[in-house]
Amino acid sequence: MDFYLGLAQIIGVHTLLGLSAYCVLLTGQVSLAQAGFFAIGAYVAGMLTVLAGWSLVPALLISALVSGAVACAVGFPALRVKGLMLVVATTAFGEAVRLFFFNFTYQIQAGNLKLGPHGGEGFRQIRYFPENGWSTLDVVIFIWIVVALVMAALWWLDRSRAGAVLRAVGEDELAAQSSGINITAVKVSAMTIGGLIAGIGGGIFAHYTTHIEHIQFGVVLATFAIAYPILGGLSNVFGTLLAVIFIQGFLIEGLRFMGDWRNLLFGGLIVLAMNIRPRGLLDAGTTRALKRLFSSGKEPSGA
Amino acid sequence: MVDLAQNTIDGLMIGSSYGLLALGFTVIFGVMRRLNLSYGPSIMIGAYLGTFLYIQQGAGPLAVAGAVVVGSVLAGVYVERLCFAPMKAGAAIASMVSSFAIWMQLEQAAILVLPRHTYPFPPLSTALPLEFGPFLLRVDHLMMLACAVLLAFAVHGVLYRTRYGLGLRAIIGNPVAAHLVGIPVRRSVLIAFAGASAIGGVAGFLVLAVDQQVTPMFGMWATLKGLVAMMIGGLGSIPGALLGGLLLGVVEAQSQWYFGPQIRDLVAYLVLFAFLVMRPGGLLGEAPKVEIALPQGT
Repeated sequence: MDFYLGLAQIIGVHTLLGLSAYCVLLTGQVSLAQAGFFAIGAYVAGMLTVLAGWSLVPALLISALVSGAVACAVGFPALRVKGLMLVVATTAFGEAVRLFFFNFTYQIQAGNLKLGPHGGEGFRQIRYFPENGWSTLDVVIFIWIVVALVMAALWWLDRSRAGAVLRAVGEDELAAQSSGINITAVKVSAMTIGGLIAGIGGGIFAHYTTHIEHIQFGVVLATFAIAYPILGGLSNVFGTLLAVIFIQGFLIEGLRFMGDWRNLLFGGLIVLAMNIRPRGLLDAGTTRALKRLFSSGKEPSGA
Repeated sequence: MVDLAQNTIDGLMIGSSYGLLALGFTVIFGVMRRLNLSYGPSIMIGAYLGTFLYIQQGAGPLAVAGAVVVGSVLAGVYVERLCFAPMKAGAAIASMVSSFAIWMQLEQAAILVLPRHTYPFPPLSTALPLEFGPFLLRVDHLMMLACAVLLAFAVHGVLYRTRYGLGLRAIIGNPVAAHLVGIPVRRSVLIAFAGASAIGGVAGFLVLAVDQQVTPMFGMWATLKGLVAMMIGGLGSIPGALLGGLLLGVVEAQSQWYFGPQIRDLVAYLVLFAFLVMRPGGLLGEAPKVEIALPQGT
């Protein structure tokens, strides 16, 4: 049972990470900075609960705000470039964040323990959940409430005028600009929303793993973040959820019995999926078909 | 002052390997207009083939170099067939994600064959460093720089002096029109991919021969350094790739000397970020017209 609860935690947090990249992708921008925002969220939330003794929810809000503010600040210069330039610029930013935390030490003495981030050794003892008597189940429920809230917010955003504007910029920047949309503002807003979501995700991640270090937030995590929405498709938020379940639940955990051979198959299956469905597992066509099947527009559970 | 100059020299030497990596990258990107994240990992496969021969058979540096290049080319062709050839024109992002998946696969394959964390790699030259007044120059570093310059000229020659290069430039300009006038597009692209992987293989061999060890992390390292050097130099520019590599090497060497190894990469990335934002075309590239096309969401 613990195994499945652990998996539910991973899937929940990675869904948040994927959704943060999803927002940015809607405007047609590929950002590999999401792991950096995720790291900022993780460190800020961890420091607030461990060093300042805050409770979790305000700490998560602050970490979301900090990540969002950083994303906004980075968005202005970074979004002047696009395409591959943006990929590389955001990679550079993400790696710079990671290396910042690699060199970042801020510790206080608490009893016979030293608490706080300690450079390359990382940030240990983020023991908010055990200290406050949360069981694993409580944590899972908490994570999924957050995931549901974020998904609902994005679902609503998608259906509002703002969502249409985001997609308009993603489809054709020139056309969007000629119809009076300020594309820089739109892209920076999308980046900021992405930063907010990644900050929450990172904060939760720090608390359920209890130990974070810089190496966890590298290019690989950033690429995973961008791979989820692309593999899942950009037609709606459930695509990202589906892709996270496919990658984390099936490809990584489900195939664990294959031992060392898992990664070989992992690569092959993703390539196969991208070959068969270059627009993602859950593209517009599938969504329409599913809507016809469940006329109420129920959540699709598999593809 | 001597330190500053010596750092610059060291940086230029290390930078020549970045330049080589960027050269292969820029050929792939120039032809495909897509990002191949598996570029470094393919070189790593070649390096593992080389080190396997070195451990098992005691192969000499030349044989190892050959094995690294052959292995890189094979892995590169495998990546092209799987991630790039089958994807239609609009699906550049799908190619990128696929090449990321193949990166995981190649890394795992290398670990399966040689499971230890590090393996020895044969040195290129064990000669003592040359002394010029107060400055020291390593012989293998000089060979690296020479290879980088020679290969840059060779690539330039192939692109601008041969019939094949003419065809390739036509494909870069407009693939459909190139196809209509009878240029074998798919074959030319595959050859370019293989050639770029071979250049990467040479770069990988030289870097590893200087380090004298190889780990599975080399793949990611090579992709990142090649990508960064290529972007600094300017997309699709051959002298730019070399220049970008040299500049990156110098920046790294100086910041390592003045701030220590932990800050070195941080400085390098911050410089890159500032550089991209202020001068998106790179040192020698044209203004960025290139975009990664996205799969349409709706």
